[in-house]
Amino acid sequence: MRRRSSSSTPPVGIDGCVQRPATRNPFRRPRRLFTVISLLALALAAPLLVVLTAPLHARAPEWEHVREAILPDHFAGTLELLGGVIVIALVLAVPSAWLVATCDFPLRRMMRWALVMPLALPTYISAFTYAALLGPTGPVSNWLADHAGFRPDIVDMQGLWFVLALVLFPYIYLPARAAFASGMSGQLEAARMLGAPALSRFRRIALPLARPAIAGGALLVAMETLNDYGAVKYYGVRTLTTGIFRSWAGLYDLGSALRLSVVLVGLVALLLWIERRARRGARQETDQVPVARIRLSGWRAAAATGWCLLVFGSAAMLPIGSILDDVWETCDGTMHGDVPHALWNTSVVAGAAGLVTLVIAVLFTFRERYGRRSDPAIRLADLGYVIPGAVIAIGVMSLAGFIDRRQWLDTALIGSMGVLVYAFSVRFLAVGKQPLQGALRQQSTSLDEAARMLGASPWRSFRRVNLPLLGPALIAAAMLVAIDVIKELPLTLILRPFNFDTLSTKAYELARIEQLREASWPSLMIVICGLVPVLLLEQVLEKRTRTPGVR
Amino acid sequence: MRNTLSLLAPFAMLAACNSPQFHSGDPLREQVVNVYSHRHYESDQQIFDAFTKKTGIHVNLVMADDDEILTRMQQEGANSPCDLLMTADAGRLGLAKVRDLLQPIRDSLLEAVIPAHLRDPDGNWFGLTMRARVFAYDKRTVDPSHLRTYADLTKPEWKGQVLVRTSEHVYNQSLLAAMIAHEGPDSALVWASGIVANLAREPKGSDTDQLLAIGEGIGSVAIVNSYYIGKLMKNTDPARDQARAVIGVAFPDLDGHGTHVNISGAGVARYAKHKAEAIALLEYLVSDSAQALFAEGNEEYPVRADVPIARELAAFGTLTPDTLNLQALATYNAEAVKLFDASGWH
Repeated sequence: MRRRSSSSTPPVGIDGCVQRPATRNPFRRPRRLFTVISLLALALAAPLLVVLTAPLHARAPEWEHVREAILPDHFAGTLELLGGVIVIALVLAVPSAWLVATCDFPLRRMMRWALVMPLALPTYISAFTYAALLGPTGPVSNWLADHAGFRPDIVDMQGLWFVLALVLFPYIYLPARAAFASGMSGQLEAARMLGAPALSRFRRIALPLARPAIAGGALLVAMETLNDYGAVKYYGVRTLTTGIFRSWAGLYDLGSALRLSVVLVGLVALLLWIERRARRGARQETDQVPVARIRLSGWRAAAATGWCLLVFGSAAMLPIGSILDDVWETCDGTMHGDVPHALWNTSVVAGAAGLVTLVIAVLFTFRERYGRRSDPAIRLADLGYVIPGAVIAIGVMSLAGFIDRRQWLDTALIGSMGVLVYAFSVRFLAVGKQPLQGALRQQSTSLDEAARMLGASPWRSFRRVNLPLLGPALIAAAMLVAIDVIKELPLTLILRPFNFDTLSTKAYELARIEQLREASWPSLMIVICGLVPVLLLEQVLEKRTRTPGVR
Repeated sequence: MRNTLSLLAPFAMLAACNSPQFHSGDPLREQVVNVYSHRHYESDQQIFDAFTKKTGIHVNLVMADDDEILTRMQQEGANSPCDLLMTADAGRLGLAKVRDLLQPIRDSLLEAVIPAHLRDPDGNWFGLTMRARVFAYDKRTVDPSHLRTYADLTKPEWKGQVLVRTSEHVYNQSLLAAMIAHEGPDSALVWASGIVANLAREPKGSDTDQLLAIGEGIGSVAIVNSYYIGKLMKNTDPARDQARAVIGVAFPDLDGHGTHVNISGAGVARYAKHKAEAIALLEYLVSDSAQALFAEGNEEYPVRADVPIARELAAFGTLTPDTLNLQALATYNAEAVKLFDASGWH
């Protein structure tokens, strides 16, 4: 969303100073390419437009009831949930990121990637697993009830704060760690030389400098929290998303459900504005000099390792261990359902969606970097990430159905792989764009200016200068989208072709009928599948921020 | 140019994904029936496989949630490949009828074996199995003679004892819809408020969780669906022994009409391209062997009176189902949700 000035620099005055082909003016904006990109953005924003314009075209017979009896409670519940999850996710993510990025302590190398592992867990599986362990009738509660006389119960609002924060905190941890690891080494070094203690270096230098990265991550956490349905419903918490389903499935009123989606998007627009403010005034381009890590010893080292182990243990080991235990218990040689086939389908669809979304995200970030002002269609397309998948599906089905009913194509769009992948791009565009934007922000604009002065067109300058420098971020973008697609459920459920199972639909079908132990097999496969991109992502980031040495 | 072309590579991949090798059955083949189903059960797959073996008709399946499926059928319109719609809620079948997504079928076999209240009078949908909304109680502390009707559970003696999931769930909604149909909205609201006043804890979790909570003494009576009780009894997880040992089942009466049931049912789609095959599948689904699999494999009550119910459920007594025609569930579902909102049952 950054505004650039270089393309508006008048070409007059530079002419003659540089050698360039006489026929082309490099300062001219590539109109044709921009038009293509705008059309693409419109195509991605179209399902959202269907949803957002619903108050104009969809009848909402029960709206009065929804507005008076559902909206206030569910809105308040949403805020309470958001606040709790974000605060706890920050507490989990920021100190861990700081320790891993700037200190050396036992197990640090393992913790680097281990703390990203929770990303591989879908929130609904994680929520069921924690509830089975620590819920009112879980083994822990039963033991405590027998021996200590009280029965803890995490299946409520406060419990859900922790459950969601434990799964989602890596969205903050990753960008925060990257920000701490490079880009502020000079300031930190200076503060250290001047004798500032570690805590005040963290509080007064690192934290303010990393604020944009942390805010960006927190925004992703907020978006994931807002569109969650499975976990929220199970924990008996009321949010706008459960309100949407209550209106749609209970009141049979899709129009009111879509209006609630508009409220949800309004809330996100507010969060986006807050995030932008948090970023305002922050330095955008950085020197990319890796920070020199400080070796901890004694109790400090023990505390650092202990903290990371605690976070890793509760966020990853506990749920994954519990899934493994269930797999072991139900392992009678037969897998429930056709897991290998579902695995293949999952990989194909995640790979295709990852690549398609990556290409689109690259084009959009190019447009944002070189365009004079931002394209409203792109901004709109970003919102796909916050709307619950089932609601996006309504938008996608409305459009595809419109075309299908007129038989403009000889095959039906609804229920085709193409539309499924398109829907994933609509939903996860923001996930793919986030790392690209972050990395681009760190590239000095003097780079593009130099390329342009030497006569390169914007696209050529982007392709030859910015794009190669984006290397790791490109892979990160595709991987993050792939992870999300592997975990995604509602879009896959409703838009899939006949006889097309993925791991998450398999797990859901078993979990839905409360066969949680039988669902452990596909759940385990989801985690393993999700871990592949997570670990690749770590490898990529590791290379990018490899440190020169440790003092 | 080469670079621009390479941008297109993923889209080419997409086109490749659309090739038939990704579909294990070709929906356009002659002998097929295309099913949209909300039922996510492994036993259903066994039934479909047996059907294919017997008739040579291949079953293509999309499983998704009810409301999404109805939206998909609406959007597909006359192009919809769906031949048979299966759901796990009579309310949604009734809604599909109202939205003109189904077509009336006259079939003497179906009409002979399915009781009249479990199918649409016009033949748009047919019940295949029943699930009853019953009370599970703690045999250690509860005298079941105090649990004869749904209204009994609103008496002060059950204060702090009642366990139930949230009103998001359709089976709570259809129970209240049936009460509205029988007794009117006022007494339905009184009932819902009475339950809220007696809750042992905030509504949450699944039906199975309510049963486990009885085992741990968190409450003593739970409103649950019959087939979750059957599944719990069949389960071998030692952590659930406690619940299995203490649970008894009462079949509450709704105002002299019997115990509230919802159905799992199916209807032939309005634009079915394989109507004959869809009817053949419907008829197969009420055959002895399919009904027995519904009963044994998924602990549901068969609609056919001559097919035995699962052992686990039979042990708890006999179900006398309410004979309200279930199209009423669609009529009153929205009102039921509003009453839940008014009663504070989240």
